[in-house]
Amino acid sequence: MRRLKMPQVPWDVLSSLTVMVVQYSLLYMIFAVPLTLSYRTTKVINFVHSNFVTYGAYAAILLNGLYGNRNMLLAAALAFTVSGGIAVLNNVAVFRPLDKKGAKPVALMISSMGLWIFYKYLLYTIIDLATYFSRINFVSYPKIVYEWIPSLSLGSVKLSSSFIATSLSAAAMIAGLYALLEKTNLGRAMRAVSDNPTLSEISGIPRHMVVNLTWLIAGGIAGVGGVLWTSYAGSITPEAGDSMILQIFTVGFIGGLSSLTRTCIGAVLVASIENYGITLLNQFFGVETSYKPFLTFITLITTLVVSPPLGAGGGLPYKLFRRAGRSA
Amino acid sequence: MPEFDLLGFLIQWLTIFGLYSILAITLNLEAGFAGLTNFGKVVFYGIGAYVGATLTTYLTLHLNNVDPFEYPPYSIDGIVKLIELGGKSPPLSIGLLALSLIIAFIAAGSVGFLLTYPILRVGPAFVGFTLLSFGELMRVFLRHYEPVGGSKGLAAIPRPFSWVGDPKLSGFLFLLLVLGLVAFTYITMDRLTNSPIGRVFRAVRDDEIAALCLGKHVPRIKALTLFIGSGFSGMAGALMAYYFTSVNPDMFVPAVTFNVWAMVILGGMGNFTGSIIGVALFTLVDRLLAFITPTLGVTAISPDYIRWMFVGLLIVIVLLFMPKGLLAERPLKTPAADEARKLLAEGVGSAQHT
Repeated sequence: MRRLKMPQVPWDVLSSLTVMVVQYSLLYMIFAVPLTLSYRTTKVINFVHSNFVTYGAYAAILLNGLYGNRNMLLAAALAFTVSGGIAVLNNVAVFRPLDKKGAKPVALMISSMGLWIFYKYLLYTIIDLATYFSRINFVSYPKIVYEWIPSLSLGSVKLSSSFIATSLSAAAMIAGLYALLEKTNLGRAMRAVSDNPTLSEISGIPRHMVVNLTWLIAGGIAGVGGVLWTSYAGSITPEAGDSMILQIFTVGFIGGLSSLTRTCIGAVLVASIENYGITLLNQFFGVETSYKPFLTFITLITTLVVSPPLGAGGGLPYKLFRRAGRSA
Repeated sequence: MPEFDLLGFLIQWLTIFGLYSILAITLNLEAGFAGLTNFGKVVFYGIGAYVGATLTTYLTLHLNNVDPFEYPPYSIDGIVKLIELGGKSPPLSIGLLALSLIIAFIAAGSVGFLLTYPILRVGPAFVGFTLLSFGELMRVFLRHYEPVGGSKGLAAIPRPFSWVGDPKLSGFLFLLLVLGLVAFTYITMDRLTNSPIGRVFRAVRDDEIAALCLGKHVPRIKALTLFIGSGFSGMAGALMAYYFTSVNPDMFVPAVTFNVWAMVILGGMGNFTGSIIGVALFTLVDRLLAFITPTLGVTAISPDYIRWMFVGLLIVIVLLFMPKGLLAERPLKTPAADEARKLLAEGVGSAQHT
């Protein structure tokens, strides 16, 4: 009998991979929590969400390329304003009028798809113009190194400044949202609107203002996520948000588009599955790393089959596996 | 300025129009009648195109006694052989065309059928998103799958009518084939939606739960819709592969889907004639733009981006101000409804005697 040789565990690879998984988890949290937040208050499946991320990233890039800004707080503030502003504008100009006309949720979703296309190519146009006048290539922009953010190394584990910024932002977002939703009147109003819009309006909550504020916060946070992405990704293109839309929505679907806690768990789950999974498959079966989205897609399908976000955006109360003696 | 070739322009425009018409009509069946928000139309179109391209190139080589594994159709040698061999024998070309259309229908339809399984219980948003992301995955897969040419795709696909000789005549024959398929699709869909199952489609669209409570098997209806719609889109894809004589993964971006959606929304959901009008308007504008763009020279802003911004805005504006589109959905055509209308026209009094 041949003795099996135990493979040497490459600890340095494993630790850097884990740092990457943690960073991706936090990034997905920052991208997907606002999606859940906006859906449960406004009931719009918002494809523009990927634009929020891209516009946030490009707010930082244009600020860096044209004015040499390397202050992350300034970039984040601009990104929050731009993406949040777009979100509020969408609501005021499109979603609310449609809702007022009694359009079905499907029509709202299709209109958000139209807006998605519009914003995507508007950004391309803006980038073309900026490139034309400044002679800087904005279509594929290198990673931005922000100043004043330290990087740490714990033993052999190196934590980049981007990692520090991402974890601080994620912590700030979670603390901020917790305080807002649990401790303030505005947060209570937001939860009331998401539970029952009509009843909340009857009880005197200014529903439209609450919805607008939700859009501002949701768009803004996603925009800040875009800024964080510019400090992490190798190069940033106008497809940055779209290339992550599968991950963002899968994370949101795991959260059932209703629970922020479950969305955060979903972010960790998706980041772990796709990064650990593809590394394992690559090491042992030679699968190319560009097949990474397949793992996310399998996660998405599994989520939809095993624990579908029932009640979110319609759907059937239908059991696929019915067993005798069990109530539905 | 070069002489404007009206006949060439018409053949070009109408062929593209025909291909998109099939997509728009089937999307209208899925989204307008059965309420399936198919944001992955391009998947089935792409599957059809790749099935047609792969079958035709490999079989053309094989049946001409060239080993397709020694001269794979994506290599330079293979392409040279294909140009040499393609379009020599009419029966082979026509046979391959028929085979491609059938296999494309079955392949695209089956994928559509299988994809309905995970989305049975969830609402339109999840349906749309799942199909959309499946399209992106398909692109990733095709880019890395060597037998279908990887990111370069397949080229020099022999056209089914190139044995005619005259390129204009063969183009015209191909146009007739495309328009024939459009007519076939239109009639099939029209009969389908005006039949009892068409009424079930509308019931599912308007209220899934109510339809379920009335004993309609909603999952089966959805699967059937996506099978039929995808099958026809697959055939359109196979024809598209012949028309452009090449396929590559970047032809099948989500933008194609959105184009078809914009056409259907502009024409009116639930009205096939409206869809055809929408397609005609869109493809005409596109063809004209294709003529105008080169005359503009280098511009700071790409006209292509402006066109896409306009498509996005158009979807929103139509939904906001003209939710029914150019042509609204018409009432059902059934024998019973015809009878009722006749009786109403004759007056209620005579109805009592019959």
